Amino acid sequence: MLSALIFLPIVFAIVMAFWPQKNTVRHLALGFSLIEFVLSLGMLQKFDSSTAALQMVEQTAWIQRFGISYFLGIDGISVMLVMLTTFLVPIIILGSWNSIDKQVKGFHAALFVLQAAMLGSFLSMDAILFYVFWELSLVPMYFIVGIWGGSRRIYATLKFFIYTMSGSMLMLLAIIFMMRLTPEVTGGYISASLLDFYKLNIPFVAGEFLTPQTLLFFAFAVAFAIKVPVFPLHTWLPDAHVEAPTPGSVVLAGVMLKMGTYCFLRWVIPLFPEAAEHYAWIFIALGVIGIIYGALVAMVQPDVKKLVAYSSVSHMGYILIGLFVMNAYGVNGALYQMLNHGISTGALFLLIGMIYERTHSREISKYGGLAGVMPYFTIAFVIVTMSSIAVPLTNGFVGEFLILLGAYSYSPVVAAFAVTGVVLGAAYMLWMVKRVFFGPKGELVKEDHHPLLDLSVREVVVLVPLIIMIFWMGIFPNHFMDFSKASVDYLVKNKMDYSIPLSPNQAQAQEK
Amino acid sequence: MNTMLADILLVSPMIALFLFSLIPLSIKVLRGNVEQSPTSTIIISLIGLFLAAGLLIVFGGSGKTAFNGQLVFDGLTQWMGLIAVISAGGAMVLMYENPATRGLQFSELIFLAMNSIVGMLILVSAVDLITVFIGLELMSLSLYLMIAMSHEQKISKEAAIKYFVLGSFASAIFLYGVSFVFGSAGTVNILDLMENAAVLIKTNKVFMFGISFITLGFCFKVSIAPFHAWTPDVYQGAPTPVTSFMATAVKTVSFAAFLRVIATKPLIGSENLFLVLQWFAVITMTIGNVAALVQTNLKRTLAYSSISHSGYILVGVITAGISQNSAFGASSVVFYLLAYSLMTFGAFAIVSLIEKNEGSAIQTDDLAGFAKKQPLLAFCLTIFLLSLAGIPPLLGFFGKFYLFSAAVSEGLLWLALWGVLNSAIGVYYYLRPIVVMYMRDGDCDVSDEKHFGTTVAIVISALLIIVLGLASGPLFNMIENSLM
Repeated sequence: MLSALIFLPIVFAIVMAFWPQKNTVRHLALGFSLIEFVLSLGMLQKFDSSTAALQMVEQTAWIQRFGISYFLGIDGISVMLVMLTTFLVPIIILGSWNSIDKQVKGFHAALFVLQAAMLGSFLSMDAILFYVFWELSLVPMYFIVGIWGGSRRIYATLKFFIYTMSGSMLMLLAIIFMMRLTPEVTGGYISASLLDFYKLNIPFVAGEFLTPQTLLFFAFAVAFAIKVPVFPLHTWLPDAHVEAPTPGSVVLAGVMLKMGTYCFLRWVIPLFPEAAEHYAWIFIALGVIGIIYGALVAMVQPDVKKLVAYSSVSHMGYILIGLFVMNAYGVNGALYQMLNHGISTGALFLLIGMIYERTHSREISKYGGLAGVMPYFTIAFVIVTMSSIAVPLTNGFVGEFLILLGAYSYSPVVAAFAVTGVVLGAAYMLWMVKRVFFGPKGELVKEDHHPLLDLSVREVVVLVPLIIMIFWMGIFPNHFMDFSKASVDYLVKNKMDYSIPLSPNQAQAQEK
Repeated sequence: MNTMLADILLVSPMIALFLFSLIPLSIKVLRGNVEQSPTSTIIISLIGLFLAAGLLIVFGGSGKTAFNGQLVFDGLTQWMGLIAVISAGGAMVLMYENPATRGLQFSELIFLAMNSIVGMLILVSAVDLITVFIGLELMSLSLYLMIAMSHEQKISKEAAIKYFVLGSFASAIFLYGVSFVFGSAGTVNILDLMENAAVLIKTNKVFMFGISFITLGFCFKVSIAPFHAWTPDVYQGAPTPVTSFMATAVKTVSFAAFLRVIATKPLIGSENLFLVLQWFAVITMTIGNVAALVQTNLKRTLAYSSISHSGYILVGVITAGISQNSAFGASSVVFYLLAYSLMTFGAFAIVSLIEKNEGSAIQTDDLAGFAKKQPLLAFCLTIFLLSLAGIPPLLGFFGKFYLFSAAVSEGLLWLALWGVLNSAIGVYYYLRPIVVMYMRDGDCDVSDEKHFGTTVAIVISALLIIVLGLASGPLFNMIENSLM
């Protein structure tokens, strides 16, 4: 089941690359992505949310010499992110219907490979398999930004690739080092399985930096922190976002950043609990700095897309705090906020893309009074903005509230600083909305030679599911949180001695 | 008599190659020094290569020795020999289709190439230092001529002279070292030497000198810094197919002999030697990668990249040298050389297709627009470069993974650390051609209408890089079992 989920997009990509007809490529891609989404719904149907156990496990030896296996599994931590990925891809394809006009086949093939790589990194339970998917996800993104991006695309895409790659190289070494340690717990053979990694007891000496657990912790944490991105490693993100084509930005903000935070939860915290606890303050502090810094920088951006990109830095700061306070509120909130951010920021990028297609400009100062010309567009934009600044009844509220609750029980000071981010966030988003949609008509809105049409049917179809999700997740958070609750609670309770149990029949199967 | 026959069977790959190398040349002589069609030449020589590869598979890996223990045919011989024969075969296909080498003297060129391969096979199987030297010289002398034989450009003559002078020095130093070893230990057979090496190396300074000189000779051949300076000039100046020949086959067999000399039995007590080699590895990786960053010429970039890969491989050789009784290090070297040869061959093959005339030195920026004109070849070049950069799940990634795993398991964590940091630097210059190819507009195209064979070879290497990457586990097991 999980294999099908990962490899179907690869098959789609190959079919796409050899599809003979140019004008039906988009329809085909949309159909494929919907098939994938339906398949993932089927997976969700079978998913048992009452247990923290690893489900739908598939394990086959891959490189036996090093205990590397093809090992997939899903639990409460990954299930919603998988759904987010499969949910966003059809929306992205529909949303980029007109904006991608060169090498359409190549674009959709890259998108499907990217989808496969992202799903693979969420579902892998083997360190090397995970690393393969993690690195593989860079390549299609590199091309998406580099070929279909804006004017400084080459600089942006190289920066993105090299930043991420340098981080993960150290992670690879850390993985090799940990594999060398596994014979202690497996009874003599090397293993790259995450479950065996969890069993490791790596010595930790508080205060001494050159000890195995601390070094390994930082090797992993830096790799993921670059991806998140955590201040001060965030500088690739604004460049990549601004230069990426709309669909690229949506995938980047919607899913790829979540790979970083997900991995903190899946790898760093359970593998190195003592180090994570001891050095949590660093990440919480960086999270707080990220929130405030991101918000302040966003406030002064003249470019809408850059503004949203910096708001991402700010939002990811919340998620980081939620993860590292390591209590049930914080972690649940962080996981929920990952989904929220994926949906609301994804929607913002799509909306910006729509207006950019009409005017070819993202300068805030050139707009103004758009509300009178494009009322439906304005309504959609305002709703998504509300979600992004966490107004109650929208999804953003639930996540941020839980994170702040968690932060408060960790330290009221942290919570106090984090709350300023909420205020600042409201400030820069609403100020931007005011300047773009209200007030006197700007030069681009006034111009007669390109009439600004309101949302087309296609664009409505793109936005409606996102807006439904915004309210659904805001009003009935339990519908979504129930899937992850068991796993998160289990993780928080047992983080010092964590191991994911296998469900009984799968444990039997493994013993054979 | 029977033993003689057995010995001849063992060396049959070399005999076959030599005989086949004579055929095109004889035809030319019989035609009164008029060059026959290159197609017949290449077909005959490729048949010879296939035959040699087949014989190598059948007789090569038995672990027997031939000619009073001068040549040994074990797993290392078989694997390294096969890698060399196959990548040399690929390079010969390039020679056939590259306008610079498909000239008037094609049959001579092929004769030299085939003899160079005979030298390579001697080199990979030699366990006697004098035989190693013979193999080395047979290989190198043919190579000097091959570099000089292209008939238009000055730059290739310059490269040939440079390589010849420096290479002769290196050979002389190697031979000097051999004489020291013979003088102090009384034998030049590697297996016998290693029995006493542990004692000799501590007590006998002359022996230590000898071993060091031999090591230096090898370091030159495989372009380990600080003996690498010839590499960029020669790689750039030689006709591209010959460069491909040098960068893959020659490097593979030189490393095979290097591995055999310093890692057949652990040279216990020679920690200092290995310490020096560790520093060499560090310097080589750094120089190769940093220098490649600032190159604008594609061939030169690949030359520096080849130097940096020598550094990675040297890490594996050191691992093999200090590991007590495991074939892990040696197998990781063989695996890496296999990966390296495939991807380097592929990259040079595409350069060979693009360059307009020999030595015209295509710049990285000249690739602009290649992806539009030749989507398949551009995709293959992307695979080669990403594999060289070590992006999973391609073969190059697993090569690095095994190499650095071996290093970590022998406690060489700092070398592995340095290696992965260098791989991160490498990403930058491996990505640049991809950027130019896909993201800039231009009209780069293959220069010659005759490129079927090269294209097939390129596509096969790209497929192998993907497939062997995914199936690297069984492949590595095979290599390790045969080296046990």
